[in-house]
Amino acid sequence: MNNESPLHIFGAQLVLLWRTIKAARREGIVWKEVLRHMAELGTSSAALIFMGLFFFGVVLVTIAWAQVRKYFGNIAVIGPPYFQLILREFSPIMAAILAASRQGASTAAEIGAMSVNEQVEALELSAADPLAELVAPRLIASILVLPLLTTIGVIAATTSAAATVTFGFQNNGMAFLDPSLVTKADLISVLIKTVACGAFIPIAAALRGLRAKGGAAAVGEAVTVGVVEACMGCLVIDFVIAAAYFVIASRG
Amino acid sequence: MIRAVGRFVLWVVRIIGANALVLGRTLFYLPRLDPGELGRAMVLFGYRSLPLTFGAATVIGATVVMQTGVYATKFGARLYTGWAAGFALLWEIGPLLLGLVMGARIGARNAAELALLTVNGQIEGLRGISLDPFRILVAPRVVASLVSVVMLADITFLVAILWECIAAYFSLGLPVRVFFGAFSDILFWGDLLAGLIKCSAFGLAIAVVSTAAGLKATGGAEGVGRAAASAVVSSCAAIFMLDFLLTPWLARVLVR
Repeated sequence: MNNESPLHIFGAQLVLLWRTIKAARREGIVWKEVLRHMAELGTSSAALIFMGLFFFGVVLVTIAWAQVRKYFGNIAVIGPPYFQLILREFSPIMAAILAASRQGASTAAEIGAMSVNEQVEALELSAADPLAELVAPRLIASILVLPLLTTIGVIAATTSAAATVTFGFQNNGMAFLDPSLVTKADLISVLIKTVACGAFIPIAAALRGLRAKGGAAAVGEAVTVGVVEACMGCLVIDFVIAAAYFVIASRG
Repeated sequence: MIRAVGRFVLWVVRIIGANALVLGRTLFYLPRLDPGELGRAMVLFGYRSLPLTFGAATVIGATVVMQTGVYATKFGARLYTGWAAGFALLWEIGPLLLGLVMGARIGARNAAELALLTVNGQIEGLRGISLDPFRILVAPRVVASLVSVVMLADITFLVAILWECIAAYFSLGLPVRVFFGAFSDILFWGDLLAGLIKCSAFGLAIAVVSTAAGLKATGGAEGVGRAAASAVVSSCAAIFMLDFLLTPWLARVLVR
């Protein structure tokens, strides 16, 4: 695989996304399958994301405490900005990367194993479109579930921070649950981010899965490359939207 | 209820045991590493990850400035952007995001290759001709991925801080001299060391966890896929847990 140019990497995913949407509109969507993927995705990633962001919140507050104590003396000052930052930046990107690891890897492994075992060809032979059957349900499920997972992440990171400050540092922890700085722009930015990452992850993973050819080695390769591309795609999406937010926020 | 508790305890013990075995045998074989395999694994894990590292560092550095820049302009602390962005990058964002991306890259690759060997019976084959697979396959990989992650962490910090400075110049209009002035006046070597210690711990965790996942694989192509997927997930969980355990200690020891 020598297609390392950025245009090539992101171009292939866009083409696959477009073809999946077309196939899904032509063949229709099996909502039962979507529901099954949503349940699988939610149950498998929710615990990981909750645990990850819970620890992340504790760690952030601990190192912020070490610095802020020197300048302000009162850590409650950074409570509202912390809530906004978690909501707008950290929870979406952490949830997206963890979902990319969890869901991207299993999608690439499943679809990769199917294409290696020629089950994808079998689908095509029985006049079914693999994009509508395999990719479209995962795409819709992921777009619907990632915003919910991000919400779980926000809850985990803010409550853990509040608990750490209240019980660990004997300070006003409730300031870390104060959403007074959150504006409509924050919510829009978080929504765009989660939906864009939610769409990108299954597409990036399915692309590598569908391209897998050969034996078990090809499946391993598909998982590795698919997960890495899903993670990088999420980082790039995050950067683009953070930059757009910054430009808009500093203008108006 | 009791049965569920028992199953959970067994599961935890099994995970700890598998990882401890990999780590212990690697330490045991440390003086007698296979140099050829070590070199191959270094190229695969370290050198081949360079493009990804540069890409990730660029995006991470620029994003951190966008995040802190909003508050820097709002609170009139524009001149301290170098400190805030540098501190956030070295202590938390840099190690964590690098760890997660490398868990995906090195962890999945390592687990997939070992799972392939396990599934094809090649590990058994090595035992059959009385070669210890841990000496010639596992120990070099663990060492190589630890060394790779530590080196890639240095490169990430360097590249990400340069991009932070560039992003601060273009987005906040902050002169390069002011950025690095705040960076070098307020931060000290302990901050850099904290980031590196975290990255090395994450690198070791990725190596051990993904090796254990790869050696456990069963079945054909599905087994390889499942092993690679579970390696990525357990690396992520291990990274967050280590971050949680290490940071309070590092903050006590290394903060002036």
